[in-house]
Amino acid sequence: MEGILDVPKPRITCGMLSQYIGRPVCFVGRVEKVHPTGKTFTVSDGEGKIATVELVCVLDEELSGVVEVVGMVSNKGAIMASTYNVLREDKGIPFDLELYAEALKVIHEFPQHYPFEVAASG
Amino acid sequence: MTKLSEGAIEALSNGTGGNDAVLQLVNIRKIDGGSGLPRFRVMMSDGLHTLSSFMLSTQLNFMAEENRLAPNCVCILKKHVTNILKDKRRVVIILEMEVIKSAEDVAGRIGEPTPYTEGNKGFNRDFGKKAPSAMPSTPGDNSKVVPIASLNPYQSKWTIRARVTNKSSIRTWSNSRGDGKLFSMEIVDESGEIRVTGFNQEVDKFFSLVEVGKVYYVSKGSLKIANKQYTSVKNDYEMTLNGESSIIPCEDDCDVPVMQCDFVSIGDLENREKDAIVDVIGVCKSVDEVTRLTTKSNREVSKRTLNLMDMSGKLVTVTLWGEEAEKFEASGQPIVAIKGAKLSDFGGRSLSASFSSTLMINPDIPEAYKLRGWYDKEGHAMDGQSLTEVKGSGGGLTNWKTLSDVKTEHLGHGDKADYYTCIATIVYLRKENCLYQACPSQECNKKVVDQHNGMFRCEKCDKEFPNFKYRLILSANIADYADNQWVTCFQESAEAILGQNAAYLGQLKDSNEAAFDEVFQQANFNTFVFRSRVKLETYNDESRIKATVMDVKPVDHKDYSKRLIMNIRKLAAQ
Repeated sequence: MEGILDVPKPRITCGMLSQYIGRPVCFVGRVEKVHPTGKTFTVSDGEGKIATVELVCVLDEELSGVVEVVGMVSNKGAIMASTYNVLREDKGIPFDLELYAEALKVIHEFPQHYPFEVAASG
Repeated sequence: MTKLSEGAIEALSNGTGGNDAVLQLVNIRKIDGGSGLPRFRVMMSDGLHTLSSFMLSTQLNFMAEENRLAPNCVCILKKHVTNILKDKRRVVIILEMEVIKSAEDVAGRIGEPTPYTEGNKGFNRDFGKKAPSAMPSTPGDNSKVVPIASLNPYQSKWTIRARVTNKSSIRTWSNSRGDGKLFSMEIVDESGEIRVTGFNQEVDKFFSLVEVGKVYYVSKGSLKIANKQYTSVKNDYEMTLNGESSIIPCEDDCDVPVMQCDFVSIGDLENREKDAIVDVIGVCKSVDEVTRLTTKSNREVSKRTLNLMDMSGKLVTVTLWGEEAEKFEASGQPIVAIKGAKLSDFGGRSLSASFSSTLMINPDIPEAYKLRGWYDKEGHAMDGQSLTEVKGSGGGLTNWKTLSDVKTEHLGHGDKADYYTCIATIVYLRKENCLYQACPSQECNKKVVDQHNGMFRCEKCDKEFPNFKYRLILSANIADYADNQWVTCFQESAEAILGQNAAYLGQLKDSNEAAFDEVFQQANFNTFVFRSRVKLETYNDESRIKATVMDVKPVDHKDYSKRLIMNIRKLAAQ
């Protein structure tokens, strides 16, 4: 958990997981199935592909809807979550996952305009 | 003497002609093909008849260019195909031909052939029509036919022979000076095209006589400088029919080209100015249902939109109106060509078929065949990138601009005010003098004069009142990434921005200044969608752009994101 809060965490979709193995990422997706042990769950991204999220601590509540997961990508292409937060669907405008995927495509197509960096201070 | 295949001309003309007919070449003419390639038209004889509707296929152009096909030479027509044009005429396309006796070896015209005419077909046109006008005189009293390109206002004795490519419907008008009717048409010959208008009596004389696609001798029209605003016709002059003008149908019309179009690629439309008049051709990828709407003058009109795509891979939405909208045959993704469509910046770029545009479905021109071939091979699989935004927030017209666009595009400088939509952030609100005391009457918002005796006078209503109502006129500066702009917001928009109603604000101003200031602090740096009206106003010799906010709405982030992504993709594709 330590290093991950200070470093840039590119937003990715399932298709890009293999390119970010061993690196911290931010993944937004819809919760599909929660494993009975509560230690892992699957998410689907805006393109419909599925990824697995593994947790350090067991889930203490039922998880559903769209979540944003921050963590490292493991060798097997799963996300080892350091932290997650749920984007509530009962408040405000519901999150449009497909539109988010479209936006991610743009961001990754033009890295010169959308650099993933930590802003220099001072 | 070589024997020609007598009867072959009749057979070829009827479509029953076989191959290997021996024919004599009577005449050969070069025609500008329009797509860059020259075409050669030949008149052939079988000793009995001559027929001029033969076209050399382009692969045989070399024979003409090498002078092998000279008048009087005798040939065998080895391969041909007969095309039937829209107006039922037949054209024989020569695919393979061999010269068996060159012109020098032939004494002259073999036999005494006469031009072949297809029985009664030529005269049916007059049936069911009012008395054909300008009848007694034969075509132009034998005055020579001149090319359209040579017409000018300084010569009045001319006759032209041209095909009608477009005819408008009869339009009527009624104004303070009286009323009348008019119709207009565009005619074309080998040298060019020209627009022709007829008013009042000429409408009665000529409107029903003239048919699109047919050729006529026209003489004694008046010429004047063309008003380029209404037409894309390429001619410095335009013609008006008058009491002396005559229009006579012409029988031999194969020489006259069918259409003069200067097609713009759909991808190029973005580079054209709005309100430009253009010709386009494309595959009709999809078409919507006919809808009816009521215009400002309370007339009901039908409307239909369709999407055209061409080889640039770009799509544009075209709007059809009235009868054209209702009659449009949507099936089978036809090739649609429009001459004289109006380009608008509605939704980015879109086209409208105005009353002076000509709509052609599956036209018999080379561009159409090229498009069909391309579409069948690759085009049908493409999604195409649309130049026209389908969704705009709040429906109806949205014209998204950035604040710098307003200046660079000189919005508001024209005769009419310009309306546009933008997303901007409030960076300054002027709280001084944002409220005024207005007449308390329902409909009246005029500022009242304080009589200082507890009464307030409204000059408009010509009454005095013991009270008033507070109304807002808020001056604000809004900004986006590109520029900033001073705008004025009236009651409704101001209340939306400040989040309080005018009456309450008036109270606060008088009683609790700190709370009043707080309202403005909170309202600052909020982002909204502004629908604004901008107009150049002159006050004491000084002209300034005044912008007024008509409507304020919260930002629809989804819609905004979609639009941004679309704009990014458009920019990337350029």
